[in-house]
Amino acid sequence: MSNFESLATRAVEATPPALSKAVRGLSDKTIAWVFIAPTIILLLAINIFPLIWTIYLSFTNYAANRPNRPITNVGLKWYRDILGSPEVWAAMQATAHFVFWTILFQTLIGFGLAYLIDRKFRGHAFWTTIILIPMMLSPAVVGNFWKFLYQPQIGLFNYAVSFFTGIDPSSFEMLGSVKLAPWAIVIVDTWMWTPYVMLICLAGLRSIPGYIYEAAEVDRASKWRQFWSITLPMALPFIMLAVLFRGIENFKMFDMVVLLTGGGPGSTTELASITLKRQAFEAYRTGYSSAFAIILFVAVFGLANIYVRTLNRVKQR
Amino acid sequence: MKNFVTGLITFRREPWETLAVVIIALGVLMLLQPISMTLYTYSFITTLIGTVMFIIVTKFPE
Amino acid sequence: MSITLSTAHSVVEPSSLAKRSAGFIVILYALITMAPLFWIFATGWKTPPDSISYPPKIVFGPSLEGYCNLFTTRTRQTADYINALGPPQGTCDEVTRRREMVIAGASNYAPRFVNSLIIAFGSTFLAVTLGVFSAYAFSRFKIPLADDLLFFILSTRMMPPIAVAIPIYLMYREIGLSDTKLGMILLYTAVNVSLAVWLLKGFIDEIPKEYEEAAMIDGYTRLHAFFKVVLPQAATGIAATAIFCLIFAWNEFAFAVLLTSGEAQTAPPFIPTIIGEGGMDWPAVGAGTTLFLIPILVFTILLRKHLLRGITFGAVRK
Repeated sequence: MSNFESLATRAVEATPPALSKAVRGLSDKTIAWVFIAPTIILLLAINIFPLIWTIYLSFTNYAANRPNRPITNVGLKWYRDILGSPEVWAAMQATAHFVFWTILFQTLIGFGLAYLIDRKFRGHAFWTTIILIPMMLSPAVVGNFWKFLYQPQIGLFNYAVSFFTGIDPSSFEMLGSVKLAPWAIVIVDTWMWTPYVMLICLAGLRSIPGYIYEAAEVDRASKWRQFWSITLPMALPFIMLAVLFRGIENFKMFDMVVLLTGGGPGSTTELASITLKRQAFEAYRTGYSSAFAIILFVAVFGLANIYVRTLNRVKQR
Repeated sequence: MKNFVTGLITFRREPWETLAVVIIALGVLMLLQPISMTLYTYSFITTLIGTVMFIIVTKFPE
Repeated sequence: MSITLSTAHSVVEPSSLAKRSAGFIVILYALITMAPLFWIFATGWKTPPDSISYPPKIVFGPSLEGYCNLFTTRTRQTADYINALGPPQGTCDEVTRRREMVIAGASNYAPRFVNSLIIAFGSTFLAVTLGVFSAYAFSRFKIPLADDLLFFILSTRMMPPIAVAIPIYLMYREIGLSDTKLGMILLYTAVNVSLAVWLLKGFIDEIPKEYEEAAMIDGYTRLHAFFKVVLPQAATGIAATAIFCLIFAWNEFAFAVLLTSGEAQTAPPFIPTIIGEGGMDWPAVGAGTTLFLIPILVFTILLRKHLLRGITFGAVRK
């Protein structure tokens, strides 16, 4: 390879600029745009055009199941309805409960695991790969089979709980009880996505150069102090990255929860996306649901901006 | 803090970006909080302002 | 000072007790986290009565009934009718007749699985092809507003699927792409291309520019150099990116359930609809889930070195 490089350098030095330009054929600028254009066109057609259409629909009374009804402009009516509706606010709080607790558990367990894996015990690479498996699975299929595990009479989960605590396994229903269902979805999401947080935290821990710890040892700083003044601050951008992404993903959570609880019992686990799906594809209130979609989209887009900002910071490390 | 204010006055990117991030985060918190209906009602416009502001201020000089 | 440092146990090398206890906790976690997965795999090999027994059966006689039920539809018949039939043809026939039923035909699982394959591979191929060209352009050329374009590309992936599905549903209905494989392929391509551009840009950034420059000095055009020098160098990155796109398209549920109903339906919306007599047919669900998840397990192990890159859009590399 070095041979190739030195040849390249020599060749670059030996070629007059005019000649090297002439042999390139198509100009770089043309190639750049030809290479990028298909991607941009596809995204404009499948993402941006629909987005603009949604914005337009959110100001109208359009209903997808009655396409021939004349469309009238309703102004900001849907936005006012949604932002003044206690039901939608309740859905937002169900979402908030889900987002807050999943992030908290995933960060604590994920960081803890990363910290332990960073001790580099024998076989850590193998076990890390095993731990990562849940996050690669299909959320819908995961939701579906956890429904089986949560069955009160026959499920593995209730059996395990009763095995360790002695509580009668048929005395509680994870999915059927108003109190437990919001926690049931938190447990499944934590099971599935803790590996995600762990993997990013592990990268954060490994990005801390060893000499900083060595210097701290020299200064006789305790392990506890080292953790709080070196490990945590230096891993923080990575933790932020994981938290933001999980926050965005869980804010728009749909598939796993829909298959696990379908939003029930009652509407205790009806997250924002599930409400949106009901309005759009069951009630066919297309205008209303378009406005709802825009409200969710703006929140996600705002957070995505912060995410990319964090991403660029981490990249510079 | 002083740097932050000077940065705002002279339209530097860094402090304005921070401000926009805070507004976006505030809007999202207002959307999800269980305390006040009024805060919930104004969450959307807050997030929208924060996001538009973020897009504009990232064009400011470093 | 440096001498004391090298003999003292430094933080970089933890004590053997700390290592062993860390290993113990991590392995314990790994085993607990695998339990649900083993359980669903095991359920696929149980008979329906075994699958719903209490206490849950950890030791059981394996049965093919779950897999048979997954691929067939059955109808109940009287014992006389079944006795009048000839000898059973194959294991599935035998298993079904034991339940006083006969096989009526093939279930929809196989076609749904094939749909999943076609849509996943089709969209992956398109997304990676588009992605590798764009990524090269972003990596090598000065493009005005490159950062904004890249953010725009990434932000399309962040959109809530249900929000996107509303106008896509209307648009596909207008142009006749509802419930077609082509429609799903295009949609998944659009979602995946953002990941492909970001990931591949990271991989191509790592290939020294000098390689193509040298090739161009040797008389290659830019296009030639791209195909003959850059693509082979980026092969690993392209493969990793392709696997990520495959997994996404394979796993996707929200778009699939909202935009397809029959012809183009993929496996994830189908598996939850597997119902036996009197509730879910859990062994069949277990079998369907097993077959659906095994490709992902294989790919996860193949990808393990690139997972971190994949989940951070190529920003974090090690």
